[in-house]
Amino acid sequence: MSAHASQLSRRGFLSGSLLFVAGAAVGCSTDPTGGGSSGARTTLNVWFHAYGEAGTQQAATRYAEAFTKAHPDIAVKVTWVPGDYTGKLNATLLTDGAPDVFEIGDFSAAMARRGQIAPLDDLYGTAAPDFNPGDLAYVTVDGKPHGVKMVDDVVMLYYRKSVLAKAGINPPATFDELVAAAKALTTRNGKGLFVGNDGIGDTPLLAVLSNGGDLVTDGRVGYASPQAVEAVTGLKRLHDDQSLQLGFTTDWWDPSALVQDVVPIQWCGLWAMPAIRTALGDDFGVLPWPAFKPGGRPVVRVGGWTSCVNAKSRHVDAAKRFVQWLWVEQTDLQKDFAESYGFHIPPRTSVAAAADKLAQGPAKETLALAAQYGRNNPNLWDSTVSTPFNAAAAKIVSGQGDPARLLAEAAAQAQTSVDRQHSG
Amino acid sequence: MNATPDSTRSFGRAASPATQPWVHAPARRPGRADRRAWGAFALLAGPMLIGLGTFKYVAIGWSFLLSLSDAHGTIALGHWVGLDNYRHLLADPAFRSSLVRIVLFTLAIVPVTFAVSLGLALLVHRVRRGRAVVRTAFLIPAAVSYVAASLLWKMCLFNGLPAGIANTVGGWFGMAAVPWLQTTDPPLYWIVLVTLRLWLQVGFYMVLFLAGLQAVPRDVYEAAALDGATGLRLLRRITLPMLRNTSVTVLMLQFIAAFQAFDEFYNLFNSGLSGGGTAPVRTPLVYLYDTAMGAQDYGLGSAGAFVLTALIVAVTLVQGRLTGFGKGGE
Repeated sequence: MSAHASQLSRRGFLSGSLLFVAGAAVGCSTDPTGGGSSGARTTLNVWFHAYGEAGTQQAATRYAEAFTKAHPDIAVKVTWVPGDYTGKLNATLLTDGAPDVFEIGDFSAAMARRGQIAPLDDLYGTAAPDFNPGDLAYVTVDGKPHGVKMVDDVVMLYYRKSVLAKAGINPPATFDELVAAAKALTTRNGKGLFVGNDGIGDTPLLAVLSNGGDLVTDGRVGYASPQAVEAVTGLKRLHDDQSLQLGFTTDWWDPSALVQDVVPIQWCGLWAMPAIRTALGDDFGVLPWPAFKPGGRPVVRVGGWTSCVNAKSRHVDAAKRFVQWLWVEQTDLQKDFAESYGFHIPPRTSVAAAADKLAQGPAKETLALAAQYGRNNPNLWDSTVSTPFNAAAAKIVSGQGDPARLLAEAAAQAQTSVDRQHSG
Repeated sequence: MNATPDSTRSFGRAASPATQPWVHAPARRPGRADRRAWGAFALLAGPMLIGLGTFKYVAIGWSFLLSLSDAHGTIALGHWVGLDNYRHLLADPAFRSSLVRIVLFTLAIVPVTFAVSLGLALLVHRVRRGRAVVRTAFLIPAAVSYVAASLLWKMCLFNGLPAGIANTVGGWFGMAAVPWLQTTDPPLYWIVLVTLRLWLQVGFYMVLFLAGLQAVPRDVYEAAALDGATGLRLLRRITLPMLRNTSVTVLMLQFIAAFQAFDEFYNLFNSGLSGGGTAPVRTPLVYLYDTAMGAQDYGLGSAGAFVLTALIVAVTLVQGRLTGFGKGGE
């Protein structure tokens, strides 16, 4: 390069910076959310949390475009929200920029009772009997459904068949066997079981349910019952044995710990099965969380996401139409969403029956587990009820304080907030 | 001699620049000069004050009213409940323990940060060659965001895998791999929290101390040297007293920063969807974030914000009383 060219003149610098500013302005003004189109009278803002599986965001945008094709006067802007989805959603719901349609992971009756989400009883129509009754009950508050379940997410134990076989361990069928297996599979270089970075994850509620206990039933917080105390105290054994992987780089909903050979048993969801299959081939199996005592009942958790309509939206009717069109009527798209990216169970039983990718191998076993042992969290299970419970469990497993007293205090605190919901 | 206290003192008045000319040109023609000065003051300070009023004071007032209301899932006022939120908050063991923890954390972290940044400033001040490089090297972490640093600390340095950096180093000395953030007995997570905060903050306070050191006139040292003062005596009798205003400011900033601790606690113990209930330590701000943004109880969240503010104001006042902050050039 010649000396002349490499020396930056004042004018060259000025035009260079102007170009940079202009470029930055263009870059910033381009809408990163995409999907919206002009010419429509109404634009719906639809929020999704960031699904981890490749292609899911493009699929959501595609569904939105198809909706606009069928309803030319309603445009749909899909917003993909990474990070702390609940925090961002709750904050935005207070503003004018609130989404018209959004999904929530832990459907909360409190949001319906506070009038934040609109009743959707008129959306189901003749399709209502086709929906999984558990899902319908889950979104029903004071007699009316306040959401449409988009996907059922089954959460269960994955294990490496080859590693267990090599160690001569059978897939654990009781909690005692799980504790023993986790301990036997723990070596100097790796732990036996991963349930979450905090070592807690879903385990407290699984323990309670697998010992015949209850979380919240008919407005009573039940996790201070003797079965619950016994089962949560039992979790301490996993911690005392130091057989849990703690502080991994990704959390339990990501299959990395299992596929990177860090642990041979992991608590994770059906959504991760395609990724696990790609990485491990046939060398994995699925199990329910085992019964706490021999002869008891194992548990798999059925979570998932629910589509809701913001009751304060300026376009409630258009928003309802979108939810109805996509999550009630468009069975093809529901099938695509449930089996083409991560795996989920479609809440409509006819769609679930038609999802052929879910009808083979471990996915089929998982569906059978969900049908037999699946438990929804009750819709009173929101953060005011779950946070004291998990905090108490964290103290119990690390041996701080009397389990019965900790759980009783947590339950009393949670009961206050449940009662307030019913009175307020 | 006057230069140091004066320049530090005007820090507190930065918001009213127009008072300076008025002071320097005393009342010869008070009417005109006065009006012009006020005009300039209004022009310069006006936009800032309006912005501050709209975005801070209105919001603070609203939040105070919210703290007296039952505001679930809304920030509309109207459902007054008096002091119920405050009562509920102070009865909650989780909030009380978060207050105790933050006080202990502050009492530990502030002296350590203070001593390390002062010591570093004294060392860097003595470096003759390449001082700019050394200074920059220590300042760079101050430009890193708490979130990015927390992720680095959590995932690279202090993860629970045998391959994590801290565990690898421990392995050289025969230590078994430990989960740093999840070990509560002994509470190893404090190592992670304290090293992170020191790494991020020490450089910034070091630069403040350096500025203070550079403002100490050379002739004071020369006079002291003539009197035969050296070493530690020089430090105790000359350097530290001359740094008094800087120290008081640094101390106040550190107290406030410690009480407001949130970012690293939130990012180290949370992983997106699971909520903060299982974290071994929650600061008041993390508790309030969970209350307001998680459980949507904005009344309770606002009440907590005012309790925390009261605590910070109280500590700052006590500290000001003890150290004489804002009294100016003695």
